[in-house]
Amino acid sequence: MQQGGQGPESTPAQPAQPSLARASSTMAIATMVSRITGFGWKVVMGWIVGINLTYDSFTIANTLPNTIFELLLGGVLASVVVPLLVRSQKDPDGGAGYTNQLLTVGMTVLFIGTIIAVAAAPALTSLYVDDSTGSSNPALVTAFAYLLLPEILFYGLFALLSAILQAKHVFAPTAWAPVVNNLVIIATLIVYKIVPGDISLDPVRMGDAKLLVLGVGTTLGIVVQSVILLPAIRKLGFRFRWNFGFDARLREFGGLALWILGYVAISMVGLVITQRVLTAASEGGATTYANAWLLFQLPYGVIGVSLLTAILPRMSKAAADGDMDKLVDDLSTGSRLSAVMLVPISAVLTVTGTALGVALFAGGKTDLASAQRLGHALAFSAFGLLPYALVMLQLRVFYAMKDARTPTLIMVVMTAVKVPLMYMCGALLDPEQVVIGVLLVNSLTFVVGAVLGQMWLWVRLGNLHSKKIVKVIASCVLAGVVGAGAAWLVSLVLPDLTSLATGWVNLVAQGLVACLVSFGVLAVLRVPELKPATSRITRLVRRG
Amino acid sequence: MTTRRTEYPAGEGAAGRRAGPGFLVPGGVVAEGRYRLLAELGADPRVQARFWRAQDNQLRRDVALTLLTGDPADGPAAGRARRVLERTMHAARITHPGTSRVLDVLGPGNGVAPTEGLLGIVVADFSQGTDLVDVIAEHPLPPATAAKLLEPLAAAVELAHHSGMVLGVDHPQRIRVTPDGLLRLSFPGPLPEATLQDDVRGLGAVLYLLLTGRWPLPGVPGIPSAPLGPDGQVVPPRALFGYIPYELSSAAVRSLSDDATGGIRTSAGLLRVLERAKANEDGTQLIAAVPDEVEDDYDDGTVWTTRRPANDRAKRRKLAIGVTTLAVATVGVLAWVGLQLISFFGDDTPTSGGPTVVATAPGNAENNPKPPQPGEPIQAAGVQVFNVKGTPDNPRRANRAVDGDMKTSWKTDRYQQPFPTLKPGVGIMASFAEPVPFAEVVIDSPSSGTVVEIRTAPSEKPALEETKVIGKAELQAGQTKLQLDSAEPTQHILIWITKLGDGNASELTEVGFVRAR
Repeated sequence: MQQGGQGPESTPAQPAQPSLARASSTMAIATMVSRITGFGWKVVMGWIVGINLTYDSFTIANTLPNTIFELLLGGVLASVVVPLLVRSQKDPDGGAGYTNQLLTVGMTVLFIGTIIAVAAAPALTSLYVDDSTGSSNPALVTAFAYLLLPEILFYGLFALLSAILQAKHVFAPTAWAPVVNNLVIIATLIVYKIVPGDISLDPVRMGDAKLLVLGVGTTLGIVVQSVILLPAIRKLGFRFRWNFGFDARLREFGGLALWILGYVAISMVGLVITQRVLTAASEGGATTYANAWLLFQLPYGVIGVSLLTAILPRMSKAAADGDMDKLVDDLSTGSRLSAVMLVPISAVLTVTGTALGVALFAGGKTDLASAQRLGHALAFSAFGLLPYALVMLQLRVFYAMKDARTPTLIMVVMTAVKVPLMYMCGALLDPEQVVIGVLLVNSLTFVVGAVLGQMWLWVRLGNLHSKKIVKVIASCVLAGVVGAGAAWLVSLVLPDLTSLATGWVNLVAQGLVACLVSFGVLAVLRVPELKPATSRITRLVRRG
Repeated sequence: MTTRRTEYPAGEGAAGRRAGPGFLVPGGVVAEGRYRLLAELGADPRVQARFWRAQDNQLRRDVALTLLTGDPADGPAAGRARRVLERTMHAARITHPGTSRVLDVLGPGNGVAPTEGLLGIVVADFSQGTDLVDVIAEHPLPPATAAKLLEPLAAAVELAHHSGMVLGVDHPQRIRVTPDGLLRLSFPGPLPEATLQDDVRGLGAVLYLLLTGRWPLPGVPGIPSAPLGPDGQVVPPRALFGYIPYELSSAAVRSLSDDATGGIRTSAGLLRVLERAKANEDGTQLIAAVPDEVEDDYDDGTVWTTRRPANDRAKRRKLAIGVTTLAVATVGVLAWVGLQLISFFGDDTPTSGGPTVVATAPGNAENNPKPPQPGEPIQAAGVQVFNVKGTPDNPRRANRAVDGDMKTSWKTDRYQQPFPTLKPGVGIMASFAEPVPFAEVVIDSPSSGTVVEIRTAPSEKPALEETKVIGKAELQAGQTKLQLDSAEPTQHILIWITKLGDGNASELTEVGFVRAR
C-alpha cells in the first residue's frame, strides 16, 4: 500500500497470452528496481534532510494522498474495475465505451476528492498528528499536505491508465513509470540541497524555497509518472471522449467492492493510530517507522512477489476449476517456500538490523543515534517477515475463491489487536523507543493475521497440510537461530558501529556469515523446499 | 439465519389468523367429512389460502389440501376462489415430476358444505419430503445444489407455459422438497390474477431463497425478507454471500426485475442458466464455496440434510476461534515481553551500548560531520516572562537573565507546591530580530534540579500548545549547555521551566544563545 498502484497483483488475470511469462519476469525486475530506487530516495532524503521533524512532517503528508486515493478508488479499482475492463474488451466496441466511462467517472470522482482533500488538509493533519505532547509540528505537515495532496488526481490517473494498458496486455510502461517518479524525486532532493535558506519551523512559512521545492518536486514526480503513460495509451489508438454513465455490470460487484473498501478503511484506522502514537512520542518517529517498514518489505518485495507471480496464476486457476486439493497444495507449497527463503533473512535482519540502519542512514544530516534506532526497529520487527508473507498469500487465496469478506474480518481482528498494543507502546516505552515498539507490534499483528488466516482457510478448505508447514518453519527457525548465533560471534571481533563505513563492514561480514550458516544448516537438515527456492533465485539472477 | 419452522404443531398459533378461530384445527374434518386435517404447513394470505396435510378418510392416503377460506356470501371473494379453482383445473392437465398431481377440485355445493367457511379446496397428492423453508432454515444452500433442486420445478413451469397455463409457483410454502432431491409444487392453485411472468418471478424468488435463505417478494410471513439496496431493488445474492457465482446471482435478480431490459422473462431463459450452473458444477468457481461435506450428502441422496455437516463445520469454527484467541493472548504477552526488551535496550544504547552498538555521547563521534557545529553567540532582541496561568513571575526582571551580568538574575516565585499544581510551568520568551537556527542554549543557574525545556514559538505570545520542544535538560548548579539538534531557524525561543529547583523556586542567572553556522 505504500507504493503507487503496482502491477504484479493484477497480472495473473489473462493466462492465455503467451508472452505473459516473459512479461511477468521483466515486471519482477522493474518492480525490484522501482522498490530499490523508491527506497533510495528515502535514504538520500535522510542524508540531506536528516531524520527529524521536517522529514517526519513530509512523510506523514506524503502518505495522505496515497491513503485518500486508496479509499476513493484504489481498492475498488484493483478488484472490480480492472476485471470488468478485461471483460469489456469483448464488447462490440472493443471496450472503448466502458473505458471512456471509467476514465470520465473515475477522474471526476478523483478531481472532486482532491479538491475536498486539499480544502480539508488541516483536518486531515489533525487526524494523523497527535500534537498533545508538542513533539510534532502540525503546521508543517499541513503546509506539505497542501503541496502534496494534488497527487491524488495523478495517482488515480496513473492507476486508471495502467489498468487500461494492462487490459491490452501492455505491461512495461506501467512497471517502469514508478522508477521515473523516484528519479524525479531524487533530482528534487538535489535541488533542495542546493537551494539556499532553511525551512523555518516556527512559524511555518509557505514561501520557504526549500519547502516549496520538496513539496512541488514530489508532486511533480507523480505527475511525470502518470503523464509518461500517455504516449503508450496513444499508441494503442485509444481516443478519450467524455462519457458520463454507469455500467450496469458494476452493480453486480457492489458487495465485493464494499468489503474491499471496508478492508482499506480498516487498515487506514490502523495506520492513523500508528501515526498518532508515533507523532505523540518523539520527532523522527514517523520517518523511522516508514523507512524501517520499507526496509522490512524489501525482501518480501523481491522474493515474495516473484514467488507470488509464479504461484498465483496456478492458484486462481485451481480455484476457478474448483480443484480444492490443488489449491491447498499450492497454498502449502507457497507457504513452505516463503518460510525457507524468508526465515533465514529474518534471522539475518535481526542480527544485522542495527548495522543496516547505520550503513544506510548514518550519513549527511542523520546522526548515528537515529540511524541506530531505525536499525533496532528493523531488528525487533524482522521476525514478522514470514507472517507478513503468509498473510499476503492467504489474502490472495481468499480473493481467488471470490471471498472478499473473510480478509476484511481478519483485518478487523488484526486492527483490534494492534490498536491497544500500540497505545501500550506509547505508555510503557521511552518516547524515543516508541517507534521500535510500534514496529514490533506491527509484526506481532501479522502473526495474529497469519494464524487467523490459516485457521479460517482450514474451516473453508479442510486439511491444509499445516503440520508439514509448521515442520518446515521449525527447521528454518532452527537454521536462522544458528546463523544468527554465528553472526553474533563474528560481531565480537568486528569494529564498533560508529559510522557509515563500520556499518557496512558489520553488515557485509555478519550478513554473509548469517546467510551462509543458515542456508548451510537448512541444507544439512535436508529441507526439501530449499531446492526450488534456490533454483528460482539462481534463475532470477541469471535472467537479470 | 434461522427461519421459523412452518409445521405448526397446534392449531392455536397458526389457525387463528383470520377465518374464525379454531375452525381449522388438526384432527378436524373438511369437505363433508372426507378429509381429516393433520398439520398446517403454511398459508397464502393473498387468497386466504391455508396449506394442510390431511388424510383421505375413504382411500386412507395422505393428501395436500389447499383450503380457500372465506364467507361464501362474500361475492368478490367467492368469485376469486372460483377463478383459482378454474385455473387449477386447467393446470391439472400438466403431468410433471415438478408439480404434484391434482386429485380433485372441490367448490361450494360440489363437495364443500356452505357452512364450512370454505370457498374451495384443491386436493393434490401429498409429496413426502421436507418443507422448502426447513431446508434453508439452517443456512442457505450451496449454489450448485440450489440449481440442481430448482431445475425440475423450472421445467414444470416451462411445460405449463408451453400450453399457456400458469402454474402459480410464487410462494415458498407451496413448494416442498421431495426425498429424491427435487422441488415440487405441492399445493397448486394459481392466484386469480397470476400471469406467466409471475411464475418466472416466482422461480427467481425461489432461487434467491435457496441461495440466501431470504425471500425477495412480499407477502410471506415467517421468512426473513431480502434486504433492499439503496435503489429499492433487492440486493443481489452475491452481495450477501460472495461465493455465489455471478451467473446464478444475476439470474435470480434478473428474474425478479420488472423492467424489460436485462430481465429474464421466460422460464426457458432461467432454465438455461440453471442447466449451465448444474453442468458447471465440477467445472467452475461454484465449487470454491461448496463445503465438501455437502458433496458427501449427495452420495446419501439426502440433499437437504445440512445438520450433520453444519455441526462439523461449527466444531471447526469453534476450534478456529479458540486457536485465534490463544494466538491473540500469546501475542499480547509477547508484545509486553518485547517492550520490556526494548526498554532494556533503550536504557542501554545511548550510554554504554549493546553487543553491536557503540557508546558515543550524542554528537561527539569523530569523522562524523556534525550538523550543528558550535557557532557564534547571538543576543536576544527582547525577553519577557512567559506565563500561561496565574500571575507572571517577576516580569520586570526578565531581561536580567540576558544582560550579560552574572550578578543579576531572574527568579521564579517561590511556590507552595511543585508544578503543575498551580501552573504547568513558567518561562522566559526570547525574541530575535530574524529567524535564527540555534545550536546551543547555555544556562547559568544556581538552582540544580530545575528541569527546563527549550521550545520554539511562532510568535511572542503564543499558546503553550503552539510551541515545539526542541531540547530538554535538568540544570546543574553552574553552567548547563543544551545542544539543540534542530537547526531549523526560529524567531522566538522559549526557556520553559517544568520542574522547579530546591525549595520550589528557580533562578536563572544568565541565558546565552548560540546560533548554528
